[in-house]
Amino acid sequence: MTSSDDPKQSAIENTREELKQFPAPVLERYEIALEKLSGRLADETCQQWSTEGLEIARKTVRSWEAAAEFFDASVAVQRQLPSGQFLKWAKTGTSLCEDSPSLAVAYFKSSPKSMLRLRPRYIDDWANVCRALYRGTWKSSALACRLFEATPDLLESLSFEEFCHFGEFLEVLSRRSYDQAGDALGAGIDLFPKIPGDIDRFINLAQIVAEKSWRETAVLFDSATAALIELNSTHRAPLISLARRLVITGVSDAAGVLRDGANTVNRVPTDSRDRLLEMTDGIAAVSAPAAPEFLKIVPEVLERVTFDQMGQWQIEGIQTARESDEAAVSYFRLESPRSLEMLDSLSSSIELSRVRDIISMYCLALTGRNIDIQAAQALAEKNIGWFQGELPTTEGTTIYMPSVINRYTSKDENFGFFKVISTHQIGHIEFGSFAFDFNEPSFIFDDLRPRLPGATELKAAKAVDEEAKKKASAKPEVIVFGHESPVAASSVTPEPAAEQEAPEFLTDMSRFFDLFHERRLALDVFTVLESSRIDGNVAELYPGIMSMYAIVRGAALESRPEVTDLPAREALVEFMIRVSLGQVDDMIVPGEHKDAARKLRRLIRQVTTVDAIVEDAAEAAIRAYSILIDIKNDELDDDEFEQLEPEEEEESSDNDEEDVVDPEEVIQQFMGQASPDGEGEGEPEDGSDEQEFESEGEEEDYSSPQEVDYRGEFKPELSQLLSQMQMMESGEMSEGGEMEPITQEQLEEMMKNAPEMEMEQTEGEEGGDQQVSEMIENLMKELQKRDTENQQFQPGPSQHVDEDGGPLTATEPDTYTYPEWDFRANEYKPNWCMVHEKIMTDGEPHFFRETLAENAGLVSQIKRQFELVIPEMYRKQKRLEDGEEYDLDTVLEALIDIRIGVSPEEKLYWRRNKNERSVAVAFLLDLSASTAEAIDEAKKPSDDWGAPDDPVEYMVWLRSRRSEGLRRTYKRIVDVEKEGITLLVNSLETLGDAYGIYGFSGYGRENVEFYTIKDLDEKFTEIVPRRIDRIAPLHATRMGPAIRHTAAKLNEVEARSRFLFLISDGRPQDRGYSREGVEKEYAVHDTRQSLIEARNMGITPFCLTVDKAGHDYMKTMMEDFSYEVLPDISLLPKRLPQLYRNLTT
Amino acid sequence: MATQQYIERNIEEYYVTEQPYYVPTSDEIEIFESAYRQRVPILLKGPTGTGKTRFVEHMAWRLSEGISKRNPEDVSPNGTGEKLPLITVACHEDLTASDLVGRYLLDADGTRWIDGPLTRAVKFGGICYLDEIVEARKDTTVIIHPLTDHRRSLTIDKLGSTIDAADGFLLVVSYNPGYQNALKDLKHSTRQRFVALEFDFPDEEHEALIIAHESGCEPAIAERLARLGVKIRNLREHGLEEGASTRMLIYAGRLIKEGVADRRACQVSVTWGITDDPQIQRSIDEVVTSIFA
Repeated sequence: MTSSDDPKQSAIENTREELKQFPAPVLERYEIALEKLSGRLADETCQQWSTEGLEIARKTVRSWEAAAEFFDASVAVQRQLPSGQFLKWAKTGTSLCEDSPSLAVAYFKSSPKSMLRLRPRYIDDWANVCRALYRGTWKSSALACRLFEATPDLLESLSFEEFCHFGEFLEVLSRRSYDQAGDALGAGIDLFPKIPGDIDRFINLAQIVAEKSWRETAVLFDSATAALIELNSTHRAPLISLARRLVITGVSDAAGVLRDGANTVNRVPTDSRDRLLEMTDGIAAVSAPAAPEFLKIVPEVLERVTFDQMGQWQIEGIQTARESDEAAVSYFRLESPRSLEMLDSLSSSIELSRVRDIISMYCLALTGRNIDIQAAQALAEKNIGWFQGELPTTEGTTIYMPSVINRYTSKDENFGFFKVISTHQIGHIEFGSFAFDFNEPSFIFDDLRPRLPGATELKAAKAVDEEAKKKASAKPEVIVFGHESPVAASSVTPEPAAEQEAPEFLTDMSRFFDLFHERRLALDVFTVLESSRIDGNVAELYPGIMSMYAIVRGAALESRPEVTDLPAREALVEFMIRVSLGQVDDMIVPGEHKDAARKLRRLIRQVTTVDAIVEDAAEAAIRAYSILIDIKNDELDDDEFEQLEPEEEEESSDNDEEDVVDPEEVIQQFMGQASPDGEGEGEPEDGSDEQEFESEGEEEDYSSPQEVDYRGEFKPELSQLLSQMQMMESGEMSEGGEMEPITQEQLEEMMKNAPEMEMEQTEGEEGGDQQVSEMIENLMKELQKRDTENQQFQPGPSQHVDEDGGPLTATEPDTYTYPEWDFRANEYKPNWCMVHEKIMTDGEPHFFRETLAENAGLVSQIKRQFELVIPEMYRKQKRLEDGEEYDLDTVLEALIDIRIGVSPEEKLYWRRNKNERSVAVAFLLDLSASTAEAIDEAKKPSDDWGAPDDPVEYMVWLRSRRSEGLRRTYKRIVDVEKEGITLLVNSLETLGDAYGIYGFSGYGRENVEFYTIKDLDEKFTEIVPRRIDRIAPLHATRMGPAIRHTAAKLNEVEARSRFLFLISDGRPQDRGYSREGVEKEYAVHDTRQSLIEARNMGITPFCLTVDKAGHDYMKTMMEDFSYEVLPDISLLPKRLPQLYRNLTT
Repeated sequence: MATQQYIERNIEEYYVTEQPYYVPTSDEIEIFESAYRQRVPILLKGPTGTGKTRFVEHMAWRLSEGISKRNPEDVSPNGTGEKLPLITVACHEDLTASDLVGRYLLDADGTRWIDGPLTRAVKFGGICYLDEIVEARKDTTVIIHPLTDHRRSLTIDKLGSTIDAADGFLLVVSYNPGYQNALKDLKHSTRQRFVALEFDFPDEEHEALIIAHESGCEPAIAERLARLGVKIRNLREHGLEEGASTRMLIYAGRLIKEGVADRRACQVSVTWGITDDPQIQRSIDEVVTSIFA
């Protein structure tokens, strides 16, 4: 076609011609590149370059794209490479194109930038590293391309050697998963620049992980990115090496090692970090699996002991580790007793979880109520109005405490602190802080409460007033502190508007605080006074604790802020707190207000006695408030403070009868309070008053004093609400009339006004509203939890028959109808409930076997106990007055006696005791949905039961388990029920008693499900364990019909003693059974009635409940029946056989 | 105290001569008196250490006093106008009917009939107090049935005779319903023959008086002991089967009076006595150390 005499020209021309058959851009780019290159390249090279380009384009169908890229890149690459290398570069591209045009595209594209960092002699190696990833699939090619693309970035932080290693790693990983490899590549780009110097080490680790457990590489990169960059290089390297060593020895969780390691290292003081890593190495040398556990637990351990003490603990651990890996792991997980003991002996701190049971029982003893003990954090997390996670507090049923106390150097003192706070907190319960009744007269004071107008009333009255006056003058919006002169106050009509309905309050506390304009001040003052009252009671009734109390109070005083730093009003509040904490000397008060201070001190003294009741604290609060509200919160200079003389003895005795304030004045003062939202008074005098006040202009906003640590947060209003709900539930409020369920609106209203909430609202202006509404929501939930009446059941799948419907008829087989007792009408509703009897489906026999195996010790113990019963039944009794036969020994003795002339023994016979055992017992298990609740079982050793085999699932499982906390595994109530039954059944077989096992649940009166696990006359076969396996939580708890049905079954059995053993987890509940308005008693009464029926049949019912709140309703339900409330559900398997034995022998 | 003389007397000659200290918690004294005048048998129910036995002693004394001082002719046991004897039998699981009624004894000359305590009480006309009746064997209850209704008679089958009870005779039994044992419950046919008086621990104030009186300790100590009692009783059904009895607290008071340190006295007489469970012991100890300095 073209002349052959000009080879250069011809090659170029040829290329040009040939390229025409490809899409236009190829030729265009060729021309552009050619133009630039022809000047710079030797002709020959240029021709070779052209030919190379053409060859690339021709390689395969799509390779023209590669050619286009080739031409594009050539210009830039040529500048960086000598011509020989340049052609080599082109050739490499050509050969890549042979494999895949897209590889070549990526290669060419990346080349210009890569060449900046890549030595020319590595070009081939580079291409090969990337090409190694390509295995002919789309995914592999994408990955290889990505590596090409990433090369410039990677080479910025990696040497070429490192790059090759990384490539190898990717290759290894890509054999397992391209996605993982892709992710690792991406992550590597981010990670490597951040860990200079340790890259190769890390890649090496990653490669080992990829080989051993490739699924974890992603996690490894994640945690490396998160963790390693935090460390400086001196600690990074050893940590990575450690991880590598561990991975090699079989610990799969390298990511965890890095994460925990970095986390731990960062928490340790800088100079101890090397030591820490050495310690870890030391452990790894003995037991690899224990090392990661150590890294993880270090922060927790350091919370309790010093670093050096931890060293001792670690040395002890290494000793343990020599025994076995298992021992080492459990030691360093803080699960083995040896480890805990060691730590205990090293530390003086006390963890709440370890003393919770003791404290809980202590509280129970002191108050007679079941008081739950929780970590304070738990309450803050509920977000229902308590915010402090560290301070002790109570909401009337539960005491919240710090989870660890380590403020003293001895265990005794630390425990003493727990005791002090629990005594103070239950003091609020024992001495009735939350039983405040607005109308209850106080003991010490003349009552002002009924004579004071509530703020809401006042506002309403004013509104009416203003309406009447029709004053149109606009008033300035000024926030007025309630210090108006009596003149202004007197002009307000004292009577609240009669036509206005009295405002409704959720609690008496709300009503009380409604009296005040400055609610926060009122709350603070009330808190001090009430706390003093509690302390006074404690001092009187529990003198034994006072020595510790004194220490704690002393410490509390130490940490109080300086009075002189505070503005006047706050200084006086602080003064009150100091007085209440027992400070006597060196009392510094604002000189101007010495008299007020004296009065306040007297108020505190007055309420700090056993005679004072909560209403006294309230009255005192009114007085203290009225004193303080008149004191401007001015900033004072140090010299304006003066020492207050110590109390004189006669001060209290002389004018004991005399009130510190004039009640009439207080009333006037309260009448004059501005309304809470800051509307000004409609009086002209007001203006001048404010003017005066403005000119002084020094007044600080009042802020609450710092809490006293052992007294914690005191939230009278919320607590009263919550404990009120609790009491309603337990039926104690019955005389208080019917309480409507609380609505969201009411709550919002309360929260808006509650002084306890104010501080939060002002702090977070923006998020405030949302925060509050969230809190209300949580609070509603909490209330519902307490008030089961408000609880809704999930609608069941079964058909709905109206509760008002008539009697039911049992038409289907295995259905039975039973009446139900209506305690309101005092009569039975005939055929009201339908029991569907079903045989429990079969499950697997594992559960039964495993339970027996796990509790082997207990099993043999129970068996032994039961076996003791048998001889009692057949024992030969000697020395009887009559019987089957003479007892030879006794006869001989008697004859001898007669001979020697003494009175002989007349009991000469023996006989087999005919006390044959004739016992039939039916166990009735509550299978309600609530038995699905998890129980916290701290003792359970963390064996890896239920760990999935698949590595991915295992990771997920492991992580979820870790997040649950280290020593917690969950078991449901029903599982414990099953366990108990299993152990019992196993032993019952030795006794030979007739027994049946039944479960019940259901939804609604027409669907009481009754499951037979073993019928009374059924023999124990292998099917019974399989049925036990299927015991699971179902729906609701309608106890009555189930008891009636069981009783009917028992009644058909011939036995001298018949027992019905009910095992439940809570009060009876069902649709239309427990939530008919206020009549939740219905269920309790019906259950009771059914038990009475059973007793009338000669059956002895016994109820075992695991409901901690069980005592309340059990008293009603089981009044003269035997029952037991288990303090701890995990006791059930042990207790059940014991009870059974006691009951039936 | 050098030569302690012991006093031996026949059981029907046992009279309560000193006034036993008893603080009534409600109208139990009046009820008992009325029941006695009408010869209605009495059942005392209540946990251990609530003063059941003391109450019977007190009533025996009180009725004796009443008989001898107030209106001698009104009620005269045994027709003699003399004091009312108290015969107490503590029941145990081997107590048979013949232990109550009497038996033949073999002696050198042959056999001789000996009256049991119940028979003696029936003949003599005193109060027969069967303590912890449920502990006795079942056959005993049959014997007391005819004594507790209009018949007021005791059948002695071995002798083939029936004894009508003397005028002053009254049967008083006690039992502790706290046992969680269905087989040791009192049968209805038995329990419905009695007027039942329920006993529980006295309130804190009264208990303090009782402790102070019985132990002779300081009133302040007695108050604290009483408070301890109340607190510990809160643990009933929560691990403790029975609350701390007043008797226990009195013992603590006595030890304290002897100079034993308060806390130690409570530990040995209350904490360790009431339970073996180390955790509950610890909790009770904490209550003790709060109450006692």
